Formats: sequence, C-alpha cells, structure tokens
Amino acid sequence: MAIEEIKKELYNNVLSGDFELTKELALKAISEGVNPLEAINSYLVPAIELVGEKFGRKEYFLPDLMRSANAMKSALDIFETEIHKSGIERKSQGKIVIGTVKGDIHEIGKSIVAALLSAKGFDVIDVGIDVCSDIFINKVIEKKADILAMSALLPITMPYQAAVIEELKKRGIRDKVKVMVGGAPVTQEHADKIGADGYADNAVDAVKLAESLMKQ
Amino acid sequence: MPIRGLKGGMLKFLSEGDLKAIHIATVEILSEIGVKMEYEPALEIFKDFGAEVDFKNKIVKIGEDLLRKGLSSAPSAFTLHGKTEDTDIKVDPERVYTIGGSSALNVFDLDGNYRPAVFDDLIKLTLLQNKMENLHIMHAIVIPSDIEEYGVDRLLFAGTFPYTSRNYYSQSQTGADGVGEQLKMAAVFQGSEDAVRKNPMFTEVVCMVSPLKHEKVNSEVIIECAKNNIPVYIEVDAMPGGTTPAPIAGCLVEQNANILAGIVLAQLIKPGTSCIYSIASGLMDMTSGGYSGAAPETNLLHCCTAQVAHYYNLPFQGGTGIDAKISDAQAGYERALQVLSNALAGTNFIHLSFGMMEMMMLASYEQVVIDNEIMGATYRMLKGVEVNDSALSVDLLRKTGHGGHFLNYKETAEYVRRNNWIPKITNRDSWSTWQAMGAKSMRELANEEAKRILQENTEPVISKEQTEEILKMAKSYHKQAQERLRKQEGK
Repeated sequence: MAIEEIKKELYNNVLSGDFELTKELALKAISEGVNPLEAINSYLVPAIELVGEKFGRKEYFLPDLMRSANAMKSALDIFETEIHKSGIERKSQGKIVIGTVKGDIHEIGKSIVAALLSAKGFDVIDVGIDVCSDIFINKVIEKKADILAMSALLPITMPYQAAVIEELKKRGIRDKVKVMVGGAPVTQEHADKIGADGYADNAVDAVKLAESLMKQ
Repeated sequence: MPIRGLKGGMLKFLSEGDLKAIHIATVEILSEIGVKMEYEPALEIFKDFGAEVDFKNKIVKIGEDLLRKGLSSAPSAFTLHGKTEDTDIKVDPERVYTIGGSSALNVFDLDGNYRPAVFDDLIKLTLLQNKMENLHIMHAIVIPSDIEEYGVDRLLFAGTFPYTSRNYYSQSQTGADGVGEQLKMAAVFQGSEDAVRKNPMFTEVVCMVSPLKHEKVNSEVIIECAKNNIPVYIEVDAMPGGTTPAPIAGCLVEQNANILAGIVLAQLIKPGTSCIYSIASGLMDMTSGGYSGAAPETNLLHCCTAQVAHYYNLPFQGGTGIDAKISDAQAGYERALQVLSNALAGTNFIHLSFGMMEMMMLASYEQVVIDNEIMGATYRMLKGVEVNDSALSVDLLRKTGHGGHFLNYKETAEYVRRNNWIPKITNRDSWSTWQAMGAKSMRELANEEAKRILQENTEPVISKEQTEEILKMAKSYHKQAQERLRKQEGK
C-alpha cells in the first residue's frame, strides 16, 4: 500500500470509528515509514476535529463519537510510543484525573468525557466511579495532574464535589490544580458556589473547557 | 369504597411469541451471567435457596427453577392504602392508576420564576396534587435545596405524608434504617407500628443500576420492606444505547433480568410481599447523552415493558417526566402521547405523570393542573365504549325517525352524565367568546386554578399535632443520619 493511501486510511479510520482496525493500520503505517508526528497532526487531528463538528451538526451521534475517539486514542498510543522511541517528547495537552464522586456510580457521562479528552491528546487518568477525596487527591499529587475533573449525576452527591475542593484547600494544593465539574444536575451556579474553575454542560464543551483551562 | 380503576391493556406491540423470546433471553442472562449484588446478606439468602453465588465477585446466578419459585409467590393483586377507605386502591395487572411527580430539584412557581425548590414547595405542591382527582398515589415531588441531602427522605416524608390522603410513595436513601424510621413516623398517624405493618399507608421504591447491578442500599430496602409488609416498587432506570443495549428488545431483556432478580429476593425473604415491576427508563438522546422521558421510543419501551411485566402477572409502573421546559405545545404533545399510550398499554401506575418537566429536573405548579386535565381526557378514552341494547339505541332511533334530534330524551341526559368527560381548563368556545372571556391561554387558566386551590387548601389532612410530631421526628432522624455520615467519613 502506498504511503499516501495509508495516511488516507488513517484519516478515514478515525472518521468512521472502526477502532477495531486502528492498531493494525497504525502499525502498518509505521512499518511503511509514515512519519508519526505528521500522521498525528495532518491526518488524525483533522479527522477527530471533523468528527466533533459532525457531532455538533447532529450528523454524528454519541456512539459514532465514542468509536471515533477510541480509534483516535489507539492510533495516538502507537504513534506516540514511536515518537518517544526516537527521543522526541510530543507535548501532552495536559494531565487530567477524572472520576465520578463518592456515593455516585454513574459512569457513562464521565467515560464519554474521558474518551474525548484522550482523543484530543490529553493524558487522562480515569479513577472510576464512587471515588473518595483521598483517591482523587492522591492521584492528582502522584501524577502531577493539571486538571481534576469530577462528575456527579445525583443531587445527593453534588455536595461531594465541594468536599473534595475543601480537602484540596486543606492540603494546601488547591492552587496547583484546576478543578472542573459536570453531571446532569450540576450548573454553572453550583460550580461558582463551590469554587470550581469551570463547568461544562456536555462532553464536547468539557474538552473545550479543559483546553481553555490549560491556557490559563 | 376503595377505588377500582379503569382497565387498560388493549394496546399491544409485542406478540405472544415475542414475549416468550424475551423470557427465554432473560432466563439465559439470569442463569448464566447473573446479577451483581453488593449486599452480602442478599448473596447469603440466594445461596440458602440453592442459587449459584460467586461471593468474591458478588454475582448471583438465578436458575429458571428458582426464578419460577420466586415469581410464584409474588401477588398479582393487592391493596395500596390511602388515609381513608375511598383513597385505597385495588391493584392488579389491568387497572390503570397514576403517581405524582418525584424528586425535581427546581420549581416553576406561580409567579413565573424558575428557581431551586424549597421545603415549602414540597408542602404546597403536595397540597395542590392532592386536589387532583386523577391522581392516586403521592410521591415527594421535589428535593428541597434548603435541606442537607443525606437522609433527606425523612424530611420528604414529613413534607408529604401529612398533606395527602393518598398512599405515599416513599424512598430510603440510606437503606434499612430509613424504612424503619418512616414506619415509626407513619405510626404517629396509624396508631402503632403493627397497624402500619397491617395496612401500610406508604410504600418504598428501590432503583437498580443497569446493567445488572443491585447496590447495597437496594437489597437492604427490599429485605426490610419484605420483613415489614411494606409494598415495594422494584425499579430500573435504563437508558437504551447507554446502560442497556440500544434495541428496545435488548433493553427489555436487561430490565427484566434486573427487576426479576429484585422481586425474587423479596419473595425469598417473605413469600407474598407486594412487588411492583417498575421502570423510569428513558431513551438516551444520542445527540447529547441526555435522558429523554418523552421520546416516542421511550413511550414504546414503556408500553412494551407493561406487556413483559404482565407476562409474569405482575402489576407494572411505567411513565416518566416530559422534556419541555414550560407548559407549551411541546409539553402538551409529550404528556398526551405518553399518558395515553401508557394507559392503553395497561401501565398500572403511570408514574411522574403530574408536573414533571425538563428531564425530571423541574416541577411546575401549572403543569400539575394541566396534567390532571390531560389525564382526565385519557381516562375518558380508557373508559371505552358501551355496546348494549340501551346504547345501540334502536328504539330511540325508531322513535325519532328522519330528521329531528335526541336532546329531549332522558336516555341522552343520563348517558352524557355517565360517560362524557367535562373539561375544566380546556377551551371549546368560539374565537369571539374566548376573546370576550379574556383570551386566556391554558397556562393562565392552570395558574389561576392552582392559586385558587392553594388559597383554599393550606392544612394537612392529618391533625396539626401529628404533623408537628412527624416533622420533629424527621428532623431528629435527619440529624442523626447526617452525624452517621460525618462519622463514616471520619470527620
């Protein structure tokens, strides 16, 4: 297969979201001599951006978005390993610890956000559901995370987002990490009240928020 | 006299063959994949009855024989008690009742403000709903923002139970202790805890997690209800495509396995425990990931689930909130399609059918009154058509002959009185009359009606002393729950 064809296939693979085929395709690209940095910047990133646009226009639906994000992540993993081998560090968009707060076992919203963040090149550490403040905070410290993202889907668990922020303050590291919150009952008002740095209403906006928090 | 509701069930989307296929798939799931139960005593009970239990992974596999045994003792008919005999309802897999709104965080008040709900809204919205003649079961319609969340169910009890004549649909956030404390509060009115156990005037709901997971608090509440003869709604809130397979058939299988596992648990604890097969499932909107209670796919799912529950001869709770933000055309069409399809499908409890908007986040005073109107029209359709000699009216037709009219007949007057639904806030005037009467929209009429009802109804339906006693207990229980929570968190 010609190099140009492989690059085009990579682009199409992210666009179609056939992530089951991505790994093989990416490895083939490397063995055929495709420049990994070029593959990311010229093919994968434009593809995932188009996916985001299509989702915004309601041409693509959530399963399409998730599958494309998975494809993007698989390809990124392989190409970044390759870049790393050659001694160059591709700068991560940022490190994010993400999870659903204690008492809450709702997983989907948090996982959608995590997948989209990964696809955008963030280094995502998903600590799962029903997560207590110790786990959140220890992970933030251990990984030197830039952002802590907390989800709560129940009105009863929303206050726990505040509890984690309080704990960050107590440990004296509140200014070391940006905090973003989300979940169906969460509002900008709640985010302001508990002193979070940002809130997003949906997964696509959550990625934009993370990007803007990294610029601050 | 207890209420004996109208019968539904004429609308069927699934064939007998479809239902059998769903049953067989469910048996495969329950016996080979099983259900995860986080509460150890629930695992023990299943083990005692011969189920295959993996204690390490907390998985119970329920074979068809145990499933049959459990279901064989689940009653198909029972009574839910209100505070007076004429608010008791006779439940079975045919009759159609309604349940009020639940757990909204915000209200749309009668001054046109969208704001967080407070405790006073809970009382007012309960008093308002209590005056709706088409409402049979009362839920706590809001979660007040002015109360600490953990253990809030005790205060929901105090803000709802005293203000309604209907059977109260309760919940316990904290597990078995909540059921016990609510039983004590009901006893203030009913005389003793044993009187409550004999004729409980409240029920509990447990909400399982999809796919296939029962949290600790779910099993605890089921067990406590079974022990105390409290009827329990065993509910799954699936989101097809998200937490269950996207096809409605696959969602039906997941819901069925998840709910039946809960019903079997209740029956193993105490055979004969009244269980209601329940869902509040809603389509996952694939453009946003949000919950849609009013999507046509959600209505289809609920109608089909009614058939699945009835396949096991169990009463079924379906229905959910609508998605509109304000009482507009969207609200009207969403609510009408939802309650009509559910009623015709024989949903025995049309849940959240009063006032619930914005994907369960909002309770609207105006919409409570509008929904009562829509439910009235729906019940009229459910009542169906009389066909007998008197209704065929051949003698009257002969008497009248050609031309003329039927308005003079006693038979006409009687039939109309017995059968026709007289709307309250639906306008059927001409344009000019409507203009002359102030050209009011349905929303304005609903607003006026709600204000009138709330002016006339300010008192609880039980004595002031009992209401105060229950509130005092609730505050104390809530405080204790908060203290336990703080201790748990080691602070």
